[in-house]
Amino acid sequence: MTTGQQQESRALAEWRAEIRAWLEANVPEGGLPDPEAGAILEEHRAWERTLFEAGYAALHWPVEYGGKGADLDARIVFQEEYERAGAPLRMNLGGLMLAGPTIMKYGTLEQKEFWLPAILRCDHLWCQGFSEPGAGSDLAGLRTSAVVDGEDLVVNGQKIWTSGGLHADWMFAMVRTGDPQSGHRGITYVMIDMRTPGIDVRPITQINRQTGFCEVFFTDVRVPLANVMGELDGGWQVAMEALAHERGAGRRTYVTFLNDLAQIRRFVTALGQEDDTAVREDLGRLLTAVTVYRHHVGRTVADAMRGHVGPEASYNKLYWSEMNAQIHEVGMRVLAGRAELQDDEKSLPGAEKWQDAYWFSRAPRIFAGTNQIQKNIISERVLGLPKEPRR
Amino acid sequence: MTYAFTPEQEDLRRTARDLFARTCTAADVRAAWEPGAEQDRSRWRRMADLGFLAANVPTAFDGMGLGDAELTVLLEEAGYAALPEPLLETAAVVVPVLREHGSAEQRARWLPRIAAGEVLATAQLLDAPVAPYGTVADLALLELEDGLHLVPAERLTREQAPSMDGARHTAALRAVPDPATRLPGAALAEARARGAAAAAAVLNGVSRRLLDMAVAYAKEREQFGRPIGSFQAVKHMLAEVALEVETSRPAAWYALSTWAEGRPDAVLASSAAKAAATAAAVTASYHTLQVHGGIGFTWEHDLHLWLKRGKALEGAYGSLRHHHRLLGDAVISSPDLMATFGPTLSTAS
Repeated sequence: MTTGQQQESRALAEWRAEIRAWLEANVPEGGLPDPEAGAILEEHRAWERTLFEAGYAALHWPVEYGGKGADLDARIVFQEEYERAGAPLRMNLGGLMLAGPTIMKYGTLEQKEFWLPAILRCDHLWCQGFSEPGAGSDLAGLRTSAVVDGEDLVVNGQKIWTSGGLHADWMFAMVRTGDPQSGHRGITYVMIDMRTPGIDVRPITQINRQTGFCEVFFTDVRVPLANVMGELDGGWQVAMEALAHERGAGRRTYVTFLNDLAQIRRFVTALGQEDDTAVREDLGRLLTAVTVYRHHVGRTVADAMRGHVGPEASYNKLYWSEMNAQIHEVGMRVLAGRAELQDDEKSLPGAEKWQDAYWFSRAPRIFAGTNQIQKNIISERVLGLPKEPRR
Repeated sequence: MTYAFTPEQEDLRRTARDLFARTCTAADVRAAWEPGAEQDRSRWRRMADLGFLAANVPTAFDGMGLGDAELTVLLEEAGYAALPEPLLETAAVVVPVLREHGSAEQRARWLPRIAAGEVLATAQLLDAPVAPYGTVADLALLELEDGLHLVPAERLTREQAPSMDGARHTAALRAVPDPATRLPGAALAEARARGAAAAAAVLNGVSRRLLDMAVAYAKEREQFGRPIGSFQAVKHMLAEVALEVETSRPAAWYALSTWAEGRPDAVLASSAAKAAATAAAVTASYHTLQVHGGIGFTWEHDLHLWLKRGKALEGAYGSLRHHHRLLGDAVISSPDLMATFGPTLSTAS
């Protein structure tokens, strides 16, 4: 018996065993590098198709749309096993988690038939077009304009921080159809074909030298009005529903962070720091945080299974993103003078990758609504504190 | 269930909250600070009347035979009310340890009387210099040099050592080690871990109360012509408290359920729960006093009743550092972290 043992229902335990066996047989040896270069992109698409053919591409989608209609507890079990197996990062989460559910709710029958299977098979990659240079945390200040002209919207403006923008086939975007001062009341949610003339995608080099996101420029881009999700000027509500998916439980489990802890443990051993009491205290603090996250997700699942969507969902992103940054900080502290090196031979096996992950651990505190925005949400919607004056 | 309460448990929570709202108000807690106030057992007897003290006592000893997890809600409510009496020690440490490790004679002598509310029991474990309600306790679980002892009042030496939390009525307890009072070796680790898990649940209740008080104050107190709770600097402090306390609670629920469900990670889960609750309590203490400003720094305001209970419990049953070290040792001594702490396949077929 091991200490991670949980008592699961028979059905869940069988599901876990099924997933574990399947992953052991199918996960590419050594995993896949982050989806960056074209060749690697094809390997990722191939992996996504393997998942699709096994019926695991979109557990949370209803059966009628090709998903498994799985409850949250089964999805968490899948995700735990997925992370435990070191399987490749999912490359089409924008489509699976955000665009897909929106299309199911607002799309016409034809749109559903066109888009949803393509997301499932990873034929279409999707990106998100929300943030702009002048509209980050203050999303309702976005200015990319869309003017109705016949059967089309004509889009002009710029999006930024578009993850996967370079390879995306489609973008779900928020554009301004109301007057410039209309705030969240003048925003429309629309699906844009990234191959439409007038779209210019320029990669941005990130802090860790990788090109994970892009700027996207729109010059007189014609988008069929039929691609609008919900009502004209009614896109704010649609977007808020999508974002709730992005921040909620199910995207990441404690197992990812346990993997990180195991890597720190290898550094500690290689550097002979096992008997350093300060290191042990750091490791104990991190194991506490990982344990807390595990039980927090357990509570969220139990609540969801009983039909409660409690305020604790707002805590999810805030908790894991801060913990993630702390874990990577401790790893850098253990590496100490080696932390700056970009040469594993002169540092330690895995150190360069850790350095890269360290910088990336600073990103989730910013993306999907900065942690300061999350605190605003908790204080106003959970604690009921008065709103601060806004325009 | 570990992460969601049954309707019966929710009922128990409401019953406890109602009782404490009537009999354990801030004024009552303040009154309990008076020297000698611990002689008054009327609230303890009312708790017994409602079955709080019989809950996890086996039916063979006049108890209700419920699991220890039933206690979770009572412990959180005890913290929320800053209950002076040692419910934590009596119901969540002494009863389970006595039930699982006591001799037939010890169980027959004490369990029915505890269930009936006739006994106040306390505990002094690890390096704790005192026990709460040590001044009047009828029974004490003491960690002595040769192990754990269950010591009745007549064998105790008490030396008053007042706490900054006057409602705790602390005293340093001593006893001469005697084979007649000594419990089997396995009892010690269980007592320590149960104490840590239960203290985590009580602390979470304390922190929750501090948060509620500060939120109420931030909504009502105005500066610059608007409630201070509308300022981000204040909002973010309170959001941080909410985040830490609400994420800490399920870790304590889990830890308290480990023994009954026979999980092998009871000790580590209890340490993680106590460490998380302690860290959350420190954040709660800092931010809620800060939000109250000068008024929170006065003797007259009730905030300090909870601030001090929190601070006392932060050090009880192992400090933050103690539990971090224990968990860090487990990380270092574990050959494969994923095998030890990760998800496992059910062995049942």
